[in-house]
Parts: sequence; C-alpha cells; structure tokens
Amino acid sequence: MSRPFPYAYISCPCANTPVPDPSKKRRSRESPQKASHHPDHPKPPPRFDDSEDEQTFDPRAPRSNFSLYPPEHLLYCEDCHQIKCPRCITEEIVCWYCPNCLFETPSSMVKSEGNRCARNCFNCPACTAPLAVNTLENVVRGGTSQQGPWVLSCGYCMWSTLDIGIKFDKPTNIRTQLAKLTATDSNPARSRQMSRTFGELKSPLSTFASIDEPFPPASGEARADDSSDQSTTPLSPDARFHALKNFYKNQISATSSSPNDPLGVDFGAGFSSPGALNRIMSLYTSSSRLSSLYGGASKKPKTKPPVMREALTASEGFQTPAPDAEMSFLQRMAREECGWDGLASLEQRGFQPPTARFVDELLPLATLLRTKRAKRCKSCKHILVKPEQKPQSTRFRIRLIALSYIPLPTLRPLTMPVPPPAGTAAAGVTMAATTTSISMPVNLDALPPLRPTQLLLTLKNHMFDPVRITLATPAVTPGRVASRVTILCPQFDIGANSDVWDEALQANSATAAATADQRSSRSGAGAVAASTTTNNPPFGVYEKVAEAGKVWDKGRNWTTVVLEVVPGTLPPSSATLPPPKTTTTTTTKITETADNDGDSDSNSDTSSFGTGAVPDWTGQAAERDKQQQQQQQQQQPLQPDEDVLEIPVFVRMEWDSENQIDRPGVSAAGEMVKRELAYWMVLGVGRIDPSVLG
Amino acid sequence: MPPKASKGEYIETDTGNKISRRSLIHGTQHIILGGKTVIQSDAVIRGDLYRISSSQQQQQQQHKPTASTSTSTSTTSTTSASPNPSVAITIGRYSYISRQAILRPPSRLHRGVYSFYPLKIGDHVFVGERAVVEAASVGNHVQIGRDAVVGSMAIIKDFACVLDGAVVAPGMVVPSWCVVGGAPARIVGEVGEGYGVEGAEGGMARERYRVVGR
Repeated sequence: MSRPFPYAYISCPCANTPVPDPSKKRRSRESPQKASHHPDHPKPPPRFDDSEDEQTFDPRAPRSNFSLYPPEHLLYCEDCHQIKCPRCITEEIVCWYCPNCLFETPSSMVKSEGNRCARNCFNCPACTAPLAVNTLENVVRGGTSQQGPWVLSCGYCMWSTLDIGIKFDKPTNIRTQLAKLTATDSNPARSRQMSRTFGELKSPLSTFASIDEPFPPASGEARADDSSDQSTTPLSPDARFHALKNFYKNQISATSSSPNDPLGVDFGAGFSSPGALNRIMSLYTSSSRLSSLYGGASKKPKTKPPVMREALTASEGFQTPAPDAEMSFLQRMAREECGWDGLASLEQRGFQPPTARFVDELLPLATLLRTKRAKRCKSCKHILVKPEQKPQSTRFRIRLIALSYIPLPTLRPLTMPVPPPAGTAAAGVTMAATTTSISMPVNLDALPPLRPTQLLLTLKNHMFDPVRITLATPAVTPGRVASRVTILCPQFDIGANSDVWDEALQANSATAAATADQRSSRSGAGAVAASTTTNNPPFGVYEKVAEAGKVWDKGRNWTTVVLEVVPGTLPPSSATLPPPKTTTTTTTKITETADNDGDSDSNSDTSSFGTGAVPDWTGQAAERDKQQQQQQQQQQPLQPDEDVLEIPVFVRMEWDSENQIDRPGVSAAGEMVKRELAYWMVLGVGRIDPSVLG
Repeated sequence: MPPKASKGEYIETDTGNKISRRSLIHGTQHIILGGKTVIQSDAVIRGDLYRISSSQQQQQQQHKPTASTSTSTSTTSTTSASPNPSVAITIGRYSYISRQAILRPPSRLHRGVYSFYPLKIGDHVFVGERAVVEAASVGNHVQIGRDAVVGSMAIIKDFACVLDGAVVAPGMVVPSWCVVGGAPARIVGEVGEGYGVEGAEGGMARERYRVVGR
C-alpha cells in the first residue's frame, strides 16, 4: 500500500450488504437501494451482524480494495449513525475555480464557455506545467520600463509560444488574444466565424436565432471556391465543429415539421428527453417510414417533409483531406528537422485538436477548472461536508468527519526490549537496546518472521463521551502468509475528549494535575513514547512488561494496548528457496487448529515446490474450504504486497450519548441513549523480511 | 540562540525550536522561526539569499561616498542598517525540515533585475528528506514529500500535499486540499476532509516535534 508503515485503514461497511444494525437507530438505513448496488455480492449474509458473526475481514480480498480508506477520508452521518466512505456519498458542486489563479468561475459561465479558465492561466501543451506570461524585451528608460511583446513560457520544459510563433501584445486577456490569433492564422476568410470559436459553446438557444444568417450566402459561394479552399489551410477544428453543429441544427429545424420538435432545438436536450428517446426507439421498432418520425404515426404530415442532407461544403464544416495530406505528413516526419522530437506524443495530442500531429502545432491549453464540492449521505441525503464557497477558503460550514466520532487508531512498534514472553524465545534480541532516541529499532520494512513483535495500538477518542471499546482480531491473519496476532487487552475504555482545564481542575494533587495535563495535551502514541522515555530511566523500561488483560497506558482521551504479532513465513519465491523444515513440526501443526496455518502453508508449499506434488490439504477443517481454493495457487510465487503484514481488527465501540434533537418524537432531547458502532479496520504493520526464514 | 548546557544533537531555542547542530543555516538574521520548529541535520536553509530592496540599494549607493560608518554597518549586516530587516525565510510553528532538505528563497528576473523574494512557510509543515523548496509561500499543514522539488515562486496553499519525488513546476499554484505528484507535478487527487486533524494524516506535527531530540 502506498502509506509508510505503520498505517491504519478503516473499512467502510458499505462494501457489504446492508447491515441489520444491532443498535435501535436504523431508521434511515435503506436496504433495498444499497443491495441493488452490489447484486453480484458473493456473500449475502451480513457481516457486521453481531459478535457471533465470525467472518473475518480479509484485507487482501479484491473487494477490500474498495472499502478500505485512511481514516481522514471517511465521513460520518449523524442521521444514519454510520461511517460514510466516498462511495456512500453524493457530491454537489459548490463552486468552480481555476486551480492556478484561484478565481471562482460562475457556473453559468462554465456552461457557456466550458470549464477552462478564461483568464491568463494556461498549461504547457508539451508537459502540462503551468505557463507563465513573460515579456520578450525589457527596456528600462528613465524609470519607466518598456516591455515588449509577451509570450507564454513554461518554466519546466522551456517550451514557449515562440515555438509555435505566437506573441501577445499585452499581458492580459491572453485567452481572447490567443483565440483571435489562432483563428486568423488558419483561415483569414473565416475569421468572423472562428473568432467566436472559444466562446462559442454558448447555449444552443442563444445561437439558434442567428443560425440562418451566416449560412445561406456561404453555402452558395463555398461550392465555387471549394477546391481552392481545401488546398489552403482548412477550417480550424473548433470552427469546423461549430459549422457542422450549426449546419445540422439548421437541417433539423428545416426538415422538422413540428416547431416543438426537441431535435430541432438541440441535439443534447433532444436525445436526453424521454419523449425524444421514445420517438427514436419507435423509429427502429415500428415502420421505418420517415413520416413516423415527424409528428408521430397518428398525425400525418400534410406534405412530405424535406429530407435531411449531409454536410457537403467546407463552410458547412465538411472537410476532405487534401489528396497528398498523408504523404506530406510522412515526408515531414522523415525530414531531418522533424524527427522523433518533432512529433507530438499521444498524451500531448489527446488534449489538442485532432489535426495536430507535430509539436509546432500544439496550442497552449487553458487550465481546466476544479470544483469545491459539498457531500451528502447517499441514503438519507443529509449534508456531511459543506465547504465555504470562496475558493481560497479552507473552512467548512459543515464537516462531519469520521474522526470526530470513531477513535483515531495509531500504531507504533514497542521499542523497548521486551523479555521473551512465555513459549517464545529470543523476542527482544532483534530489537535494539535502549537508545536515547525512539527511532525505530524494529525495521518495519523487514519484520523477522516467526519472532514475536509487540506493537502499541493507541485509540484516541474525539467524542465528548467516554467510549467502551472491544477489539477483536482473528488469531491468524487471512491469506497465505499467516501471522499470529494477539491483542493483549481487547476490551478497554477511552475517556471523553473533555476540556483540558476540566481535567486539570478535577485532578487531586497539583502534581498529578500537572502530569495529567501534560499527558493529556499530547496526542496518543507520542504521549506513550514520551511518557515511557521521560518518566522511566532507560533501564527502568524493563519493568514495564506488556501484560495480558491490562491496558498499556491511558490518557485523558486515549488508551494504548499492546498487540503481539508473530509474522508468518513467506511462501518461497523463485528467487529464494527456503530450507525445508522438519517434518515433526509439520505434522503436529497440521493437526492443530487454524492457528498454525502459516507454518503448514509454507511447509506444504516447500514440499510441493521441491517435488511438484499437490499440497496435502485433506485434513483441514470444513470452514476453510474457500481458503483451500486459494491454496491451490500455492505454487505461485509471492504476489506483490503479499509480504505486507496487515491485521484485520474488528472494532466495536459503545457509548452513551445525549439524544440528538433531530429525532423528534423518539424521546426528549437530553436523554442518554446507548449507542454502538462497529467496523473493521486494517493495521498495516510492516513487511515481512523475505531473506530471514524461520 | 544560546546553546544548551548539554551538548545534544539539537539546539533548543527559547521558543522551542529544535535545530540540529549539523544543519547548515546561512544568514540567520534573515530567518524567522515561529517556534517549535525542527530543523534536522544536513538541512540547508539559505537565509543569505535575501532581497535587497531597490530603495535600500539606492540608500547604500547614496551613503557609500559620504559616510564611512554606513559602509561599516552595511558590511556587518544590512538588516541593522535598514529600519525593517529583509526577511528571507519565515517558518511557522511546528514545522519540520527533514534531513538534507534545502530551503531556498525564490528568485526571478523582474524588469531586468534578478532578485530574491521571501520564502514563507506556514505552520505544521513537513518538508521531506532531500526536498528542495523554492516556493514563494507554503501554507499551513502542507506535506512535502521526500525528494520533492518545489520550483521557484510556486505557491502551495493550506492542506496541500506534494507527493514524494514530485517536481512542482516554477510558478505553479497548488490549491488547498489537493495532492500533486509527478514531474511536472499535476493535481492527482485530493486529501480527505479529515486531513490535518490532530494526530491524523497532516496533523502529526506536534508529535513529530515531541519525538525529536529524545
């Protein structure tokens, strides 16, 4: 995964079928709607039903990719009482702005002019970096400096509009200048038409009235100078598009008998309306006679409607390539001065008019606008996030982020040397001895397999109510690389996120208050490390041993518990063949429960790798049938990121909160309501060292 | 900056800045640290590239022939000579400059004069290892990844994120909440709404500060 270790992702429950919430508050849960989103879900039974549901979340399952999010990406709907990921929200555009000049563009202008910055913001057509407006000449004469023609230049790849032979007279309003320049460059005869090219994406209604005016004279004369027209430079693509659009609009309005024909108004609106769609469909299903198109079957048109014709002339937007166009392209490519560098790449051409094939035909790209968006819950339509409208503002009017409701998980390796716990040897050997800094002695990018590693999991509560947490994790992580996980204290409380001053005043003695205050002002995991390092002498840390059933450390609104992980061994890759293990351990472990999955996995794998025999999985429990199918692929080498140790942890939180006022009729505000929330999270611990084999 | 009695790796100033003794800071009188800023070893901060304003230049030119005192002051430091000292680099609170990062004030040729402009870095900013920052301004809660290059006169707004190895082109503006990456950097995504919440991604500055030097 992309984040550095250790990380914590939280799974949004929306990836599964809707959940019968154990809590009473489930009014706004819409099961049928959500179920329809995932019709092909393999496991219809709900996953988060109750504690007796033992289906483990598999962080490596393909579906998990779509439900795991970093905590700060998640929202929380107060009405549904559920975590909301980017998939269970809808977005609404609050404003459009240019990411370069950070000016807002009114949405009406976005509609009329397209979603590009109308000011001076351009991106380099060669490398997409923003272009700067620079002057070519700078003559300082007696205090006032005279600045010459202006160009757009890229500070990244040194491209400038000089490469395509464009200079600007003034440093402002570059976009209109550019539109004029490109229009007059390609064909001066059509400049009137084409000067409107950039701003011509107006509402179809506004141009509709003036359609007839430019064309009837043009169509007559265009036929005459057809040949000469095409031999010279053709229309610019934008102008051609508009000419074609106008032509067909004209045709439709001319051939259509009914004035209300939606096709005559606009292509888009016509096709998008259900009535028009009906008409089009009936065209294909019923008779193919044209009369059925116009006015419907019942009402016959009095006269035969004129037949629509296709564009014929250049003025109508029709273009025949010059007969030697391809050859001239080829010749130009073959020429010395063009070469490979002279050709526009596919990426560059993607944003250019289709005729652009060489780098000197690339035009600067007006910067695409971006949006600020408000977010709503998909099921109950409540607004979850509403940013302020000003593009520069970073504040929100409404911001219901999950982090203010669910505890923030932080994971860090326990750095102090730990005496080996019972049953395992040499636990603390790999960890460095006490150091002054708490830089990680445990290299999370190379976790030694089969050696217990202790981790501190801190959960920090941001709610104003104390929370009771129950953590659950499978004893063995799912997947081929099976690591054993134990949460030493799976059930604990986290204090409320109360005022720091309240806390300080409530404390008994002054010193206690001071320490409590000091501690609580820190954030979770760091506070743990700091307190252990400051309060205890370097060797005193030995005294603190992770005990089962006991919380490691606790602060005002955070609690830390210890997680013990024994990373599993990796299946052998083609590069490194592991030494075969003793058969005694294999047999004993296979008879055991699922705990030693990893060992047996790798063992059978080793044998199969050596001999080519099919792994023996007959003695396995029935619930691992599905897993067995995956085991068929044992021979496969290590998949990418399969060596990443990710622990699925089921978090269930319970708290009493004041009843929300937004539920009238249920109960009076101020009454305490028991709430609970449960979700899976995935702790990314580290990468298992492939070189070390247990 | 009176050094602490114990010769640790870090010098801790009155305002809580933790500055590695092995960092390379030039022109300290042109640098303002907001407090609780961490500067790691081998970080280079070029406060010596400050802007000499045109009026100041003229002043110096005028003073040069007349008084010898003014020349002496100008040689010691320009800041003491002028009423408002030119600040080359401003860094806010809880910002973190990683090892081997380079902070250099932006510069440009304007009306035929090549001059430096101040580099302003906001609060809770993280600058990754070996990153080169020449931005005109870096907002609050900005994350600049390892080996990233922020070009001259770029503007990075609050809560933006520059990915590892990104090359932000000179003069680019990175809007708030945007993630940029690649060379040249483009906007590749947005950070979540919870970005910058204390303890979460973008809000680790206090913890980073706390851990340093222990």
